[in-house]
Amino acid sequence: MVDMENKIKQLIEDVLREMGQQKNNSLERVSPSLSSEEPLTDLTAENLREQLLVPSPANRDAYLKFKGSTASRIGIWHAGSRYLTKSLLRFRADHAIAQDAVFNNVSEKFIKEWGILEVKTKCTDKDQFLTRPDLGRQLDVENADLLKKNCLRNARVQIYVADGLSSTAVEKNAKDTYLALAQGLEGHGIKVGTPFFLRYARVPAMDAVSEILQPEVIVVLIGERPGLATAESMSCYMVYNASVGMPEARRTVVSNIHQGGVPGVEAGAHIADVVKQMLDQKASGLELKK
Amino acid sequence: MKEQILSVGIDIGTTTTQLVFSQLTLENTASLISVPRIEIIDKEVIFRSDIHFTPLRSKHEIDDNEIRDLILKDYSYAGITPDQVQTGAAIITGEAAKKKNAESVLVALSGLAGEFVVATAGPTLEGIIAGKGAGACQESKKRGATIVNLDIGGGTTNIAVFRNGELIDTACLDIGGRLIRFNNNQGGVSYIADKLRNLTRSMNLTVTENQTLGQGLIEKVANRMASILEEVLGLSEVSSELDMMLTDHDLKRDYHIDYVSFSGGVADCIENTKNGEDFRFGDIGVALGRAIALSKIPQQLKVLQAVETIRATVVGAGSHTTGISGSTISVSPGVLPMKNIPVLKLSMEDESLPLVQWGEAILRKVQWFNLDGEKQNLALAFCGQANLGFNEVKILAQEIIKGMQGVLCKTCPLVVVIEIDLAKVMGQTLRSQLGDKKDVICIDTIKVENGDYIDIGRELVDGNVVPIIVKTLVLNY
Amino acid sequence: MKLKTVLSGVVYEFKDLKEVLAKANEEKSGDRLAGLAAATIAEMVAAKEVLADLTLADLRNNPTVPYEDDEVTRLDQDAVNERIYAEIKSFTVAGFREWLLSHQTCGDDIIRISRGLTSEMVASVTKLMTNLDLIYAASKINILAHCNTTIGDPGVLAFRLQPNHTTDDLDGIRISTFEGLSYGSGDALIGLNPVNDTVESLSNILHMFQEIKETYEIPTQNCVLGHVTTQMEAVKKGAPADMIFQSIAGSEKGNTAFGLNAAMLAEARDLMLKEGTATGPNVMYFETGQGAELSSDAHHGVDQVTMEARCYGFAKHFDPFLVNTVVGFIGPEYLYDSKQVIRAGLEDLFMGKLTGISMGVDACYTNHMKADQNDIENLAVLLGTAGCNYLITVPQGDDIMLNYQSLGYHEAAALRSLLKQRPIPAFECWLEKMGIYDNGQLSQIAGDASRFFKG
Repeated sequence: MVDMENKIKQLIEDVLREMGQQKNNSLERVSPSLSSEEPLTDLTAENLREQLLVPSPANRDAYLKFKGSTASRIGIWHAGSRYLTKSLLRFRADHAIAQDAVFNNVSEKFIKEWGILEVKTKCTDKDQFLTRPDLGRQLDVENADLLKKNCLRNARVQIYVADGLSSTAVEKNAKDTYLALAQGLEGHGIKVGTPFFLRYARVPAMDAVSEILQPEVIVVLIGERPGLATAESMSCYMVYNASVGMPEARRTVVSNIHQGGVPGVEAGAHIADVVKQMLDQKASGLELKK
Repeated sequence: MKEQILSVGIDIGTTTTQLVFSQLTLENTASLISVPRIEIIDKEVIFRSDIHFTPLRSKHEIDDNEIRDLILKDYSYAGITPDQVQTGAAIITGEAAKKKNAESVLVALSGLAGEFVVATAGPTLEGIIAGKGAGACQESKKRGATIVNLDIGGGTTNIAVFRNGELIDTACLDIGGRLIRFNNNQGGVSYIADKLRNLTRSMNLTVTENQTLGQGLIEKVANRMASILEEVLGLSEVSSELDMMLTDHDLKRDYHIDYVSFSGGVADCIENTKNGEDFRFGDIGVALGRAIALSKIPQQLKVLQAVETIRATVVGAGSHTTGISGSTISVSPGVLPMKNIPVLKLSMEDESLPLVQWGEAILRKVQWFNLDGEKQNLALAFCGQANLGFNEVKILAQEIIKGMQGVLCKTCPLVVVIEIDLAKVMGQTLRSQLGDKKDVICIDTIKVENGDYIDIGRELVDGNVVPIIVKTLVLNY
Repeated sequence: MKLKTVLSGVVYEFKDLKEVLAKANEEKSGDRLAGLAAATIAEMVAAKEVLADLTLADLRNNPTVPYEDDEVTRLDQDAVNERIYAEIKSFTVAGFREWLLSHQTCGDDIIRISRGLTSEMVASVTKLMTNLDLIYAASKINILAHCNTTIGDPGVLAFRLQPNHTTDDLDGIRISTFEGLSYGSGDALIGLNPVNDTVESLSNILHMFQEIKETYEIPTQNCVLGHVTTQMEAVKKGAPADMIFQSIAGSEKGNTAFGLNAAMLAEARDLMLKEGTATGPNVMYFETGQGAELSSDAHHGVDQVTMEARCYGFAKHFDPFLVNTVVGFIGPEYLYDSKQVIRAGLEDLFMGKLTGISMGVDACYTNHMKADQNDIENLAVLLGTAGCNYLITVPQGDDIMLNYQSLGYHEAAALRSLLKQRPIPAFECWLEKMGIYDNGQLSQIAGDASRFFKG
């Protein structure tokens, strides 16, 4: 039966190819442009784990098999003792993506489409955010008041989103993670506070937010410092009854939330169970028993 | 956070019956700040039974009562009770796998085996399990090499070829140590298998029962058997007899072989043959071992010492049949274990449909299965696409519910098996839409195909994973 | 002690030595974050002028963290050779700088004088030096150490091979190790930063490194950089480690934040001498980095260059085989951009050598810093010229576990051939034997890690 389906698929593909189309995929952008304007292939689209640039390796299969177990740039060959142009450009492209994730702001459009409140820490811009971690942990009176006015207080669980060091991570993962997390908590019969976005925020800003809104558990979804492998990785920090100046060991963390790590929806479902444990045990971080 | 589970392996073959207990160690290998990732980090054989002769009631009938006694004794030797065993496999091969025998073995093992699987193995599966038990699979990965394991038993030679830890080829031949048996130390033949008789005929020899074979003739026959193995490995030119000796298909021989390893009873005769012991086992096994030792195989290929020889199959059954699910799953409490659930796998074409058409596709395929009984269940399996957003997960859950009506109207739980890491949110969403009245088992990071049956054990490591046995080839012998 | 000067008609007065030391620093965002930096460049120069006139005795007598309060200070002060100190105590910092740079002063002279120095003296002279001064003075000093092989000979540039993996996957670590070896990296060390700081995980990796070393008969040393206590446990249980690693800080409070003290490191060293796999006698490995103390609020109001010098004084006490600063790892709040990273890298190398330890550098940067690969390639050339004992390399400079960029495996061969330097001799013989090097250059088969399979 499967064979039959494959044969039919092959047939359709053959016919389409003859008609001059590449694939029957309506999502693909069809650009009937002149050949001189056709773009080069996207450098960053190639899966590095499957790319082997060594021209005649002693053992290609083993090389690829072992390469598959790491995201490291392995099997990239050399020009003299320097890099091939292809891998050099890929490195620069990945660095560009990482820097964009850090230095660009989470877009107004993203916040608006989600329809959540935006507040900010005491930092005035990105540069100050990067050099003054102390200011990225605090909210001024004006922003604290905005939270008090617009958000449910004393919720059992308060979830919010913060940019941290990757705006890309937030834009790619935060909403799906939030929705799965909220569904999971609802399934446990747990009431969730009003979500919002905190700009220019470091992780410990959650302690200040917790003192303002007084939830039992505070949860922040925050962009991680990007690496070259991915700029889209997000973390989730959780604290039971957080306060400014508490020991770091009271934070529970789930990191590596992104498509190549743990997908946002799956992470959200997992975090819901972790938060449930915190509420049951009235504890977080190292105090939380597994 | 480690957890150990006890696994049993039982190998009931034409000639011998063996048992091992293995301890599998599971551990969360992810860092503290990650979503858990539980893996089997260690497999250790903690008990090996003696090698028993399989008790027979008549020439072709297994004595189920005696088998039960044997196994009970081994349990008590090992100091293990059946309720301590959490997983494992019983492999029934050769004569024992004939339908009537298999049934009586099932009866013999009932209540002894806890929740583990009883499987009748074809030579292909047996060869694979033996190759894993011999360490060929693991070693091929470690060395980045292609390793052929020859499991040479009493009746057959089961070949499995591994490259970089993956199976790439199999074959089975009627070459084994007990295909000619002797009733005295002078070479008096008490039995010769039909296929071997044909082989000797092709050598212009006539070997019959009650005939006495001289040393030279025994050597000659054993050498011919070894040369068939040379042929299948591509070391000698293929003769027409190779085809006769193959039970099913030939090796592809389109790859380079780096190493060869030997398991099975005859493996022990390849290295440790002293002169004058030829009739130690009353069969041609010792001579066959020596013939292999002198053949082109060890001369032209590098030989790797197998980690298990005569016990390769039983160790493979005990240590290498159980896998575990992904570490973020969704399982309704108190439902597991479940056994022998047939798999409905969506095709690539089904999966490329828009999500809103999945329900129809599932519905169509569920009808292929005969879901008459109240308890007759079905596991829905698919690969799943990356990058699913939450709303798409919700749509997919609706479609699964639509498609699986035939199962949902019964009392048995809804079982969903996904290849990519999506089971926790999928299970949660299904439960949210079904409203808690329905039990849901949603597990991931498992690859199954249509025609497979799946066993799902009780939750382990704080409910984070479940042990899984996928029975791929076992029921088509 | 004169703490006051006039510059362009403006009077600058500093309240204590700590303030002079801090404000004399070249611009660092970390000093600014700590509220210690000079407000203007003029004030910085004024502080340098004041510092130039102070004597080494002033610096000995005024440790930046009090002797009574801090074991790092105590170890540093107590280790001073009083006879040598007596010879130099009346040097001004300016005079000391010129003595170091003088043609009459050779490396062995400096190594001898080094025994009479405290960390504050080492830091002070650094603050008066330009980048070229730092390179020039550092290049005179050769500090040798021996674990299984000898590091630090003139004309040798060694590399640590760092095959980090996001989940400590043994296959992933293995292929990365082979890859690095196939480019001639790994003579200083094959050393991994583990994700899982558990005895079992460390042991598994150490056993694999040992197996690789034995299978291919590689003359080098291995280490898995867990916490000192975890490594000790692993060694006690039989794991084959050549060295024990620990991150250290320049104050007792900073070390407490890392979960260690001097006694613990002394115990670790004893353990390695008794149960380690290496020849020795140098069996310890330390990493440092400007700003670490401030990040754990353990800086005592002292600038980050001085705190860094104190790390080296502390490290020296344990006769390490390797010490390196991880110079750009900590982020823009401490080192803002490439200019600050390059300066810090040169300062750290010079200070380490002047302290008398086998000094290397992890020339690196993070993605939230205004720096890129060009900048650390520049730094690497400068460090190589300055006689750095070793540099750190990862596959194409991308560390997938620590999420930062360092030098790549390829840089080992490129820098050596550019700077006319060679691998550690025993390792070079091995590279030639394996066919990876061919007459001191990468061969035709270099860069093919799959040659290590099918052993």
